[in-house]
Parts: sequence; C-alpha cells; structure tokens
Amino acid sequence: MSSRRPKIGVYVCHCGINIGSVVDVPAVVEYASSLPGVAIAREYTYMCSDPGQNLVKEDIKTSGLNRVIVASCSPRMHEPTFRKTLKEAGLNPYFLEMANIREQCSWVHEDHAEATEKAKKLVEAAVAKALVLEALEEKEVDVIPSCLVIGAGIAGIQAALDIADAGFKVYVVEKTPSVGGHMSQLDKTFPTLDCSACILTPKMVDVANHPNIELMTYSQVEAVEGYVGNFKATIRKKARYVDVSKCTGCGVCAENCRLAGRIPSEFDENIGMRSAIYLPFPQAVPAKYTIDPERCLQLSKGKCGKEGPACAEACTAGAVNFEQEDELVDIECGTIIVATGYDVFDAARKPEYAWSDYANVITGLEFERLVSASGPTGGKPLLGRDKKGEGGYLPQKVAFIHCVGSRDKSVGNEYCSRVCCMYLAKQAHLIRDKLPEADITVYYMDVRAFGKGFEEFYDRVRREGVRYVRGNPSEVFKKNADPEDHTLIVKVEDTLTAQALEAEHDMVVLGVGLEPRHDVREIIDLFKLSQSTDGFFMEAHPKLRPVDTASDGIFLAGCCQGPKDIPDTVAQAKGAASSALILIASGKVNVEAQVSFVTSSECRGCGFCVEVCPFGAIELVDENRMGNIVKVALVNEALCKGCGSCAAACLSGAIQPRSFKDEQILPQIAVLGVRT
Amino acid sequence: MSEEYEPNILAFLCNWCSYAGADLAGTSRTHYLPNIKIIRVMCSGRVNPLFLVNALQQGADGVLISGCHPGDCHYLEGNFYARRRFMLMRKLLEHVGVDPGRVNMSWVSASEGAKFKEVIDETVAKAKEAGPMDQFRRRQLNW
Amino acid sequence: MVDETILREKAREVLARDDVRRLIGWKRGTYGYESAPAVLKDASQADELIFDPTCVQNPASFITLEEKLPVPRGQDPDTRKVAVLVKGCDSRAVVQQLVEKAYTRDGVIVLGVPCTGVVDRRKAQKMFGDTSEPVMIKEEGDKFVFIIDGETREGPRAELLADKCVRCRFPNPLVYDELVADEVAVWGADEFADVDEFEKMSPPEKWKFWEEQFSKCIRCYSCRNVCPMCYCLECVVTKQKPQWTRRSTDVSENTAYHIQRAWHLSGRCIECGECERVCPVDIPITTLNRKMTRDVKELFSYEPGVDVEAEPLLSCYNPQDPEEYIM
Repeated sequence: MSSRRPKIGVYVCHCGINIGSVVDVPAVVEYASSLPGVAIAREYTYMCSDPGQNLVKEDIKTSGLNRVIVASCSPRMHEPTFRKTLKEAGLNPYFLEMANIREQCSWVHEDHAEATEKAKKLVEAAVAKALVLEALEEKEVDVIPSCLVIGAGIAGIQAALDIADAGFKVYVVEKTPSVGGHMSQLDKTFPTLDCSACILTPKMVDVANHPNIELMTYSQVEAVEGYVGNFKATIRKKARYVDVSKCTGCGVCAENCRLAGRIPSEFDENIGMRSAIYLPFPQAVPAKYTIDPERCLQLSKGKCGKEGPACAEACTAGAVNFEQEDELVDIECGTIIVATGYDVFDAARKPEYAWSDYANVITGLEFERLVSASGPTGGKPLLGRDKKGEGGYLPQKVAFIHCVGSRDKSVGNEYCSRVCCMYLAKQAHLIRDKLPEADITVYYMDVRAFGKGFEEFYDRVRREGVRYVRGNPSEVFKKNADPEDHTLIVKVEDTLTAQALEAEHDMVVLGVGLEPRHDVREIIDLFKLSQSTDGFFMEAHPKLRPVDTASDGIFLAGCCQGPKDIPDTVAQAKGAASSALILIASGKVNVEAQVSFVTSSECRGCGFCVEVCPFGAIELVDENRMGNIVKVALVNEALCKGCGSCAAACLSGAIQPRSFKDEQILPQIAVLGVRT
Repeated sequence: MSEEYEPNILAFLCNWCSYAGADLAGTSRTHYLPNIKIIRVMCSGRVNPLFLVNALQQGADGVLISGCHPGDCHYLEGNFYARRRFMLMRKLLEHVGVDPGRVNMSWVSASEGAKFKEVIDETVAKAKEAGPMDQFRRRQLNW
Repeated sequence: MVDETILREKAREVLARDDVRRLIGWKRGTYGYESAPAVLKDASQADELIFDPTCVQNPASFITLEEKLPVPRGQDPDTRKVAVLVKGCDSRAVVQQLVEKAYTRDGVIVLGVPCTGVVDRRKAQKMFGDTSEPVMIKEEGDKFVFIIDGETREGPRAELLADKCVRCRFPNPLVYDELVADEVAVWGADEFADVDEFEKMSPPEKWKFWEEQFSKCIRCYSCRNVCPMCYCLECVVTKQKPQWTRRSTDVSENTAYHIQRAWHLSGRCIECGECERVCPVDIPITTLNRKMTRDVKELFSYEPGVDVEAEPLLSCYNPQDPEEYIM
C-alpha cells in the first residue's frame, strides 16, 4: 500500500438525524471533495454500521485510498472501530483521522449555517493532519498471567475466585484482618431474606483455601509501577504481632487480654466489645488473631500489667510475638482489579437526627449488627444496655428514615445510594418479625424498588403493617429530659396530606447512604484513577466500559465505582474478572503505538525531556556522532504512554509524540486558526 | 471595540478530561457558541506554548488550553508542567501587548460538561472584549 | 583591578597543559569601543589576552558554539578540556550550560575574572563619536579614561557603564577553577524598575512600541547566534519542517520570532545582554528577557544560572504553583 502520495477518503456521517438535522452534510461533503489530497468524499447515514464500514473498506480496495477521514462522533467513541476497519482493509490503522462533528458540533450548536461552517472547518483540519499522518507499528507485550485484587469484600472475593477458577494466579490484598467486607456485617439480604453470612462464608473460606489465590489480609498496597501486562506492586503486610503459622484461633488470648470487652468492636459498629488481641468476628477468614497496636497496652504503652502481657502467657502455641515487624512483599501481575468498596455515610453529619446524642437513634448498619444472631445482643433489638452489655429494653415504636446522606445536596451527595430503600424495608420486616406488636413507620422521599423482586418485597412489607409516610423528617429530639423515658419526637411533614406531624418513637433507624471511602485519595494516587462527580471511581465509559478504567489493565468491581446492591456487585465483579481474564488468557496485549521518538541528530542532550517524563521512559544515552561521543535522549517505548509532555519541553523539537507531532498539529492550527 | 465581531477561538483539549468533558457537553446537548474550534491532544502537557503564538499569528482571536484538574492528570504530571508554561507564556504575550484575555487556561474534568460551556462562554467574552487579534496576524496566508 | 600580566601568566599555564585544547578570552578589538573574542590554542598566544572595560563579550557563548567536526576514521575524538575566562555575569552562562548538560564540569577549566563593570559601546559612541581605531579604556575612580585615536578623553563611569553592569549583582564569578584577581565588592542591585516602568503601558501602547521595534528586525539571527544558551543543532525558528515561522521579515513573522526566542530563554536567560549588544538595528531585546526573568523569580522563586544543581525551570513543577488565571 503506497502511502507516499496521500489519497484521502472523507466520510461524513449523518448519525441518523443526530448530525444531519443540524449540519448540512451534503455541503460538507462537497467542501471536502474540493480539499487538496481528497480523492473521495461520501456521506452515509451510519458510518459505524457494517454497511458504513464496508463503504470505507471497498474504497480502500478499489480506489487505493491511503488516508481515511471519518467525520462523525467523538474519536473517544469510535476511533477504535474505524481503526479496525482500516486494518481489515489492509491499511495501517493510524492513517485514520476523525472529525468530531457530533459531540462538538451538531449537538452543541443550534444555528444550522454556523454548525455547517464549523463542520467544514473541522473536516478541513482533519484533512490537513491526514496529509502528514504516518503509519505506526502496533506492538505487543506479554501479559503476566496473574491478577492483583485490592479489597476482599464480596466484589474482590468473587473476582478473585473467578480468575483463580480459570486457572490463573490471584493475589488478594485486604486492608483489615479478615476478608468479607461490609457484606459480612449484614444480617439478612433483601429481598430474598437469605442470611448474609450463610451465603458469604463459604466464599470467604474458598478465597483462603484456593490453591491459585495468595491471600494477604491486614495488608496494603504501597506502590505500583509498570503498565498493562507487567505491573509490579509492593505490598506491606502489617505486623499482626501474632505468628499466623502458630495461631490456632482458639481465642484464649482474647479471653485473657486485660482489655477484654473494653474496646468497641469495629465489626459490630461499636455496639459490641472486643479485646486488644482479637478476631474481628467469629467466622473471620483467616481465623487468626491480630493485636490492635494502638490499643494494646504492651505495644502502645510498653507495659501490660505487672506480670507482662497476659495474652502471650495464655497462648499455648506461643504465637504472640511483640517483636514482629511489617513485611514488604513484591509481586508481579498482569492485571489489577480495584474492589475497595465504600464507607457508610457518617450520620454525625446530619446533626438534626441527633445520632451522636441519643443511643436509640442508630444507623442502618448498626441495626444490622443489633438484629444479627451473631451480633452483640444475640439478635434481639435491645436498646439502652449498660456498659457491660446488660439490661436494655425492646422498642415499641420504631421509625425508619430514608435518604440520610443520599440525594442530599447539603452534605454534598446528590446521588441515590440505591440500597437504602430496600434495606430499610427489610429491616422493617425484621422488626415486625422479632417484635410483632411494634408500631413501625417508615419516612421516605420516594421508594425506589427497581430490582428483581424489590417491588413485591416492598408490597409485602407494607402488607405486614409497616406504615409508610411520605416526608423527610426535619428533626429528631427527645420528648423530655427523663433518662428513663426513651421517647423521641420525629418532626416531619406528611407531604401527601400536607400535615405537620410530631410522631413519638422509641427507636429511630437512619437509612444512611453509601459514600466513597475516606481513603479514596490514596487509591487514586496509587493507581492513577479518576473520580466521577460523586467521588466514586470513574469507569472508562459509563455505558460500554463500566468495569474498565482509563488505565489499561486496571478494572473496577463493586461499590468503589458507585453504590450497588449485592447482585449488582457480584455481576460487576464477574465482569471485571472476565475483562482481566481476556488479557491474561490471550497472554498478549497491544501497547500504545502513539509513543514519542527522538530524532537524535537534532537532540542536544539537555535532558529536559528526561526530567519532564512522568514515567521515566526517557534516558540519555551515548551516541557516536561522526566520531564524537555525545549524549542524546532515547525513549523506552514500553514505558512511554504518549502524553507528549516531552515535546513541549524540548527546545529543538527533537522529541515528538507520534500522531501528535508538531508538524501534524501546526497544519491543524493553520486551518482552524483562520477567522472566517 | 467599536463593532461587534465573532472571535475565533482555538482550544487545545487533553484527551482524557477536557475533550471528554466537551463530549459530555455534547451528549448532554449543552449549547454553546460555535466560535470555538477544538484540537485534541493527549495531554495539556503536550501543548507547546509556541502553538499559541502560531495560532494568534494565523488569526485566532483567543486560545484556550484545558486539561485535567491538578492531581487528576491521566499522565500524572502533564497538567502541572502546562500550568507553569502557560502562566509564563501569558505573561510574555502580555508584555508584547497581547491582551491577556486572549490566553486562557482551564481545568475541565470528564464530568464537567456544564463547566466546559461556562469556560467557552467566558473565553469568547474575553476575546470579544479584546477585539479582533490583528496585531501580528499573518497578512498573507496562502502562498 | 585585574592585572593583565597575572591573567596572561595563568592563561599561559593553562594553555601549556596537555589536557587543554584551547582557551577562550578577550583580545584587543580591531576598531571601536569593544574588545574581540580570543580563541587561543597555544601558550605562546597568551600575551594577546587583555582584560579592561572593553571586554563586554561573553566568552561562554563560544564554548557551546564549537562545531564538532567529523573525526577521521581511526582517530579518537579530541576530548581535551576547553579553558574559558569569564566575568561574573559570564559565569552564570557556564552554570546554566552545566544545568543543561551542555558539557560536564570537568570538561572545562574556568578562569574567573572579578569585574568592576564594562563600557556600553552605544553610550560611548554617543559621548565621543565613532572611530576606526581600537579604543583603550581604563577605569579611574568614578571615571572611565579613554584613549581614542591617540587622544585621552574621560567620561563619568555611571553614564558609560553597560546596563547589565549598573544592576550587576554578580561581579564575581559563581563558578571557577581559579580566580585571576581578588574578588570585588558587589555594588549593584536589581529591582526590575525598568520592567515595572514598561508595564505601566497599556496593551495597545506596548504593542505600538514593539510593532515599531520588531518592524526594524532584519532577522539576521545575531541575537540567537551570540546567545550562550542557544546552541541547538537545528533551531526551530529556522527549521523548514515543520515551519514555525516564515523567513519573510514582516512584522508578523518578526514578532513570532522574537516571542519564540524569548520563550525559549524563559527560565534560562542569564542576563549577559549579548543579544541586545549585537543587534544591528538596536532592538531592545533584553526588555523581553528581563520581563521573563522578573516573572520567573516572582512566580516560581527561580533564578537561572546561579546553581549548578538546580532543575531546569520548565522541567519541574510545584503542586502549589500559582494558577489564579486558570478557570
């Protein structure tokens, strides 16, 4: 295929009526055909369709086109499509240039004449660039057949199991001492009411025992480098101060801990208590104890009682080791799945609901622990227990409040958390189940029962005698100062009857929403992810690439990408796993062809590019220039991502990013810069 | 300026944030002025400040460079370099007598379609205020 | 004061060394108020060297200008050192060239010449007129004493000093292997009053000024060629592919050229003033460079050519860099 004399084909897409109804497509075609180098100019309804692509292929074959311009939608959308078209027709895919006349023309401009003029200019600029396009070589690199999964909630567990079952190595890194994530804290799951632990625990055990999975709990990723197919990660295994190879999980250490029952348990949302040496929950995987270094007297104060640490003494296996240190592990992997999950909304940020003030105002997650059979109250919704966890009363009049921290601009969360409507319905059902006599009211803005079986479940809950009041409570306060009287007043307007209510309750459950994790920034910095407006990680495309990220080889699973219920999370985890498996199973991946290169005869060896390059892809090497040894820049193409920062730093223009060279951009400026 | 004119604005947008933001403006059917013509680059760090001089010379009345918000650069640091470079280039052009309103820079993320429109409106408004760029425009364009 | 006999003696010693290829300094000019650059290869030539207020040139410019000729097959390239005489201001060029890896520190021998100021040719011409004979200049207190065509004239130092000397903060070399005279006291300070003054103009006034100046430019590229920092093998301004600027000398291309030149020197200009000195049509080129120097200092607390360890300004960043104009 000769590319010496450009023979350009211009294809202007109507995109149905998306472009054609605003831009005068025939006029653009006519204009294009008058441009230098243009051999063929055509229009078509849908260029991306098969017949549209065939049009291009035919012209390449029959008319010997060697440059193709598609004037249609954003190159971010269909550049890969048309690159493939060119390739299939035997033309180098980098002889494609797109003119974005939809997103950046027909969809944003109302005036038809102006939009048409602009479309002409955009096509002309594409032609100007096409004249100087070059064929680029696509390179392949090997993919290390393994995956690193960050986070071992249900998303991470599922993704890891899928990849491991396919026969490939998986490294699972979990920050907390146990796998399981938020799902392990839940009692029952909506709308089917299966017991969360019953369906999760087998998977937790599988992750720990799978021969292809290397599980690293109580660990964190410290650094990541490399590129798709060839990542290197450093993982910090934090010191547990317990030798896991010796620990049998018997729990004698925790019973003997001087702080036993005096430290709020994170797993039980601070309702229950634990020791300084602890297992987060009975079914924790791995069933190995961990010492909380901030609370342990020996580790934080350097002294535990007169006789020294009781746990160490009690441990017959001799597993307690206060000298243990963090361990750094380096791993290599071809793909990465980020499944770091979410935080629940901090109810203290809605002071009007007085969660911080009253013990009988609790969050949805606290409620889960309260009604869980394995929870601190043995599944009885007991409120007002004393410090030893004794006494307490069963509520008679329970209120549930929707949308706490979701759909609420005042706390900066405009989005719907997607799970609260249904978990509150489930919790209302659980209360009805446990306290058949209780009076139950749900205060809601809207009930969004969109999923499979959701509406039916919502209906069932209402039929069970749960009252739904449409109104967003403005305030929760105590009826009187009497410490024995637990009555709370919920102030709300019933918006269906336009009545202001002050309803009495003795338990208020806040339907707290889901938020991006508090430490989301660390993950972003580590993996160079971007965030959507809501703060969750952004997928590569909201519709078509929901598990991919902008970084090749890094995928998202679960609530780190946005609020989800369990089935959606599992589905996405499976999607992420299959995306990772595509790379791993094929064993090869194409790397960026649009990388920088150096014209070494023009390089003066100043090293500006070396210092600018964010990827360390450039180095200065010796070059023999007619017998003189001089330093010149050299690009490592596997590391270069093609950003082009080097080219802007280079004074002589010796280093240039392919497809975005000075001599390719200047003609575009020359076309578009002219005032018409 | 005495008479109203339609300024021609040349925008360099980074592929990952601002170009995607411009696409989002399109997908959301956010209408803005057609004065702006976009050149896609992979990163705002790619934009050689001399492109601006060239654009102004060719007849652009204003230029816009837009990249990811600091810290969000797809290439980690490109926008930080761009920020430095354009800060200086703007000062230099100002010294030669180019109205500083002609040289604009913005951070527009992929989710900020609405902000993109605002940026365009402001850039066009500033270029209108500055009047047609004919200080060192090339007189003879084609030869 | 520099004793020329000591200077020559030191130069002779250096030139006599086996590992030295040549020495760059100053010699008597052929006419007028300026010396000429001297490129010596042999110790016997050392007596040609001079140092007096005519020695305005920056010898550091010539270190990087040396053409690397093809090495005949079978021969080794000449890797012997280059020795250079530098004033304080010139030494900043050496520092910046080292920052930009133009050569390594042990590739050069720097003989430092503490300097008390040189004469501005244009100012002297105005005061005493032109001459076709070389002029001798001596500094005596607050006067310069000239011998022009055999006649002794004198003029006030303050009125005849080059602008860069009036505000000189670095009369003593910042980098050197040896000083040829005792260090001198710093007399100057630089508040960038000239830049402030210029900035009082409105954009149209500024453009009017530059339009007039740039219209004069004949694009001889002397300013570029003399600049110690400009030593690309192929300069982007004169490249044909891609062509950034056309070769026609109209105000548009001239302006583009001067902006390009000033841009490429931002964060790199070491204020030796050579560009403006050599301009045959008297364009106040340093006015652009001074603006960049001031802004670079103000915005990024950066001064080129003072620290060999510094990172090049535009190859580094600070996450807290100013961005008030960014939307």
